[in-house]
Amino acid sequence: MSSPIERSSKRSTTVALVLVAGAGATAFALGRCDPSQREEDVLVYRDPDACIRGGLRTENDCRSAYATALAAYPEGAPRYPSRVDCEGHHGAGHCVDGTAVAASAAGSFVPILAGYAVGRLAEQALAPQPLYDHRPDQAGIASSGAGGGGYCTSWGGRVVTGSGGASSSARVSSPAVRPAAFGGFGATGRSFAAHGTAGHGGGG
Amino acid sequence: MRRIALGERPDWRASAQTNGFTFHTLDGAPYWDESHAYAFTLEEVERDIEGPGTELHALCLDFVADAVEDARILASLAIPEAAWDVVRDSWRRGDPTLYGRLDLAYGGDGTGPAKLLEYNADTPTALYEAAVFQWLWLEDLLRLGRLPAGSDQFNAVHERLIARFRAVGGASLALTAYADAPEDRGTVAYIEDCARQAGLATRFLDLGDIGLAADGRFVDRALTPITTLFKLYPWEWAFADAFGAALSATPTRFLEPPWKAVLSNKGLLPHLFAREPGHPNLLPAYFEDDPQKARLGTSFVKKPLFSREGANVLMVCDGAVLAQDHGPYGAGGHVRQALAELPCFDGRHALVGAWIVGDDCVGLCLRESDGPITTNAALFVPHVILPG
Repeated sequence: MSSPIERSSKRSTTVALVLVAGAGATAFALGRCDPSQREEDVLVYRDPDACIRGGLRTENDCRSAYATALAAYPEGAPRYPSRVDCEGHHGAGHCVDGTAVAASAAGSFVPILAGYAVGRLAEQALAPQPLYDHRPDQAGIASSGAGGGGYCTSWGGRVVTGSGGASSSARVSSPAVRPAAFGGFGATGRSFAAHGTAGHGGGG
Repeated sequence: MRRIALGERPDWRASAQTNGFTFHTLDGAPYWDESHAYAFTLEEVERDIEGPGTELHALCLDFVADAVEDARILASLAIPEAAWDVVRDSWRRGDPTLYGRLDLAYGGDGTGPAKLLEYNADTPTALYEAAVFQWLWLEDLLRLGRLPAGSDQFNAVHERLIARFRAVGGASLALTAYADAPEDRGTVAYIEDCARQAGLATRFLDLGDIGLAADGRFVDRALTPITTLFKLYPWEWAFADAFGAALSATPTRFLEPPWKAVLSNKGLLPHLFAREPGHPNLLPAYFEDDPQKARLGTSFVKKPLFSREGANVLMVCDGAVLAQDHGPYGAGGHVRQALAELPCFDGRHALVGAWIVGDDCVGLCLRESDGPITTNAALFVPHVILPG
């Protein structure tokens, strides 16, 4: 026999909330995101002078893009536990003690800044970014840095230019110059938004 | 199942505010309505909803197992061919499911078995209000003495969600939806709450803040890899999005898993009927391009393969259009299902939602509409199991 006050078995014994209660489920507005892009046209320069000589960007643009890339370099450069590991990726003589670059890089080795990449068009909204020599084949060979034409980005994306790597344009896969593409989910649902009400998105 | 007048708690709006129920009113129109409720007997719940709900879900799993290996079935469901491996692989890996909601026609005069209208297997909402606010309503009315002692509710949704996350959730979970859609955002906030209570590290990301990294992983704006992503965003939309092509190679896992695309699809209905033509909970149903649809005669409901909240549903009774919803989902294939009108109480049409968590039916909720099609304007009305 069950007593009238005995808890039943058809419903939750307790219902407690840790996040939703109180403040409520606050919706927060977020800016629209870049469309996903599969490939990028980039311009690669060894330094601002090469950029200015290229004549595709104004002197101001060349210098400010370089400054952005240079500022990203200390924290953005990949870090390796040993010089051997670093030179294995970037080539002999292309790595320095991290202490010289950033306090947080002490105890590790980082590649030297070999150049920088900018988007060909402002519409790409691609952040100017540091590039490093990509020379796994020259791990044991001291090189001047010329030749090969291979660079990599802070997150390991390959950027291969056509003319020896001094200054060139390149068409590269988007992930090579963007750590990640954003905005690739949601567009299809937005195309149904004309019918939807403010409360309803993809749920039903 | 009866509709009973109970009267509102005078302070329910304050309670809603306190408990994070931010979307009880949407676009100025009421959504939560507790002026009355639906009363069930325990036998009705266990025999007519709980048992059939669990069984229908099991039938659906059997169907998925066959469907993912059968190109004709996947094509009939209008799942794009590029996504077949995504769907198939997720099933073969045994990617777990969290939850779903079976929508049933049940109750009213000459009550017979509940009939499956569709399976919201991928992106069900109404979850928070079913699991939490409905539960609080019952507890309040018991405490106030406005329901007899021993009154109960079929609603273990909250506890079972937390238990399910404990069982299959892993260590961390990212959750995503349109952050600017309050009902969706509220639903995901509640699911995040359950995941957090199950011990998972959680974070919410707007759909636009989901990134795709070079290695195929989905990441957040800080480039932190997403191991598992809960998405209140339908698979058919994700397949069509720019990132759809990345789904086959990504190591990121999803809740609901891609194989739910087989179930969250009105094409499920003719396939289930063909497999179990005598099943008491299944209505006769055919694809619109199947000549056998003529067997349904002049009373039927035509539904797009993909639609939500009653959009683009056409209801025909004795050759006359009984109701029709216009919406954006008209493109693509349709199915035709035998007409099972929702029971009408005091001029209101009631739809029973049976909640599945994991593989069990663990709760129910009701939506009430002016018209015979349950749309996104339908009210959420609580229910009670009255002591026998």
